Amino acid sequence: MELSDSYLERYSRHILLHDVGVEGQEKLSAAKVLILGAGGLGAPVALYLAAAGVGTIGILDHDLVELSNLQRQVVHFTRDIGAPKVDSARQKMLAINPELIVKTYQDYLCAANIREVIDGYDFVVDGVDNFPTKFLINDACVMAGIPFSHGGILRFDGQTMTVVPGRSACYRCVFRTPPPSDAVPTCSQAGVLGAIAGMLGTIQATEVLKYITGVGDLLTDTLLSFNAKAMTFRRVAIKRQPACPVCGERPTITKLVDAEQSVCDLKR
Amino acid sequence: MNIRVNGETQVLAEGSVTVARLLDIQQVESPDMVSVQRNGDFVERDNFGSTLLAENDEIEFLYFMGGGACGCLGVRC
Amino acid sequence: MNTLVVVDASRNLRGVSCPMNLVYTKVELSKLRSGQVLEVILDNGAPINNVPGSVLKEGHTIISQEQLADSAWTVMIRKK
Repeated sequence: MELSDSYLERYSRHILLHDVGVEGQEKLSAAKVLILGAGGLGAPVALYLAAAGVGTIGILDHDLVELSNLQRQVVHFTRDIGAPKVDSARQKMLAINPELIVKTYQDYLCAANIREVIDGYDFVVDGVDNFPTKFLINDACVMAGIPFSHGGILRFDGQTMTVVPGRSACYRCVFRTPPPSDAVPTCSQAGVLGAIAGMLGTIQATEVLKYITGVGDLLTDTLLSFNAKAMTFRRVAIKRQPACPVCGERPTITKLVDAEQSVCDLKR
Repeated sequence: MNIRVNGETQVLAEGSVTVARLLDIQQVESPDMVSVQRNGDFVERDNFGSTLLAENDEIEFLYFMGGGACGCLGVRC
Repeated sequence: MNTLVVVDASRNLRGVSCPMNLVYTKVELSKLRSGQVLEVILDNGAPINNVPGSVLKEGHTIISQEQLADSAWTVMIRKK
């Protein structure tokens, strides 16, 4: 394929990188990445993946933009309040890069729809805030063999880990089951420093670009956490667990189920 | 007894300390929100109370962290 | 138990959901001096289950919490 001058100019800073080059940029153009959640983490991921020229970007979120989102969800603007988050995000991604294909899913993620939603994507970004959905994403991606990036933020802290099913430890290797719901400080009660979302989301976006282009070493078998108050980063090596209920030697979780109190149940 | 917790050396005055007791000593607010690794292996939650620490153990507390978007499960948060 | 408490400020947060009820509680506390007492009225359910705990974590004291006839709660907070 003959690359246009504008393509070469737009992506010149990638093409200049020895490890990326024209080949790497073409891989990005051909890639399909799904962002689950158009919130604090999904916002920077969406912006950077669009800017990087990831050819097909899917984004899922059921919610509408609210005033309290704007402190950290930088893909949404004041004028977007009341609009579906996925539409707001799509509009910004296309404004950055009109040549992309952006698929939106204004829906909840359920055991019933997750297989269908993630099918065909090369990589999935977990930008959701609740644990049952994080476990659902892990289980579905492990079963489908789709790599994904886990991300979490709270107050001044963030954590992330990249999972390549069959090759590296999964989220359940680290956290066996969702915590009891009464032990979880809800995001809204605990608060979060806005820029933390950008710190973590851009790490996730970087992992996506590394995976697609094959550059460097992924954050696999590693849980990276940071605390922004001390601005300390810590990597903890994680071993794949033979007893893991989903990616272990004898998996006990072989089908996807919704968490309790999921809206998915209410809809049926 | 000297151990390392999240990379930092801790001197424990008590002789026999379980993982559960260490969570208490370290004033971990919600033990339900922590996954514990001891010398690279995970300690099952059910064994927190029976797993005794040994000299020079490397302990990692790995915290559950959510964050991101609420609009995927529909649980109001 | 009916201890007499001098209330320095009061805010009715009926109908105000999480987390804005906590935000308004913090705003009211910020106007008080150490040792002064704030009364907030919180809805039953998530508000009463969440706000006092968050207030405690910030070092303030919960003097009392009592349920009212309409199932809302009155909570007395002494500022740290």
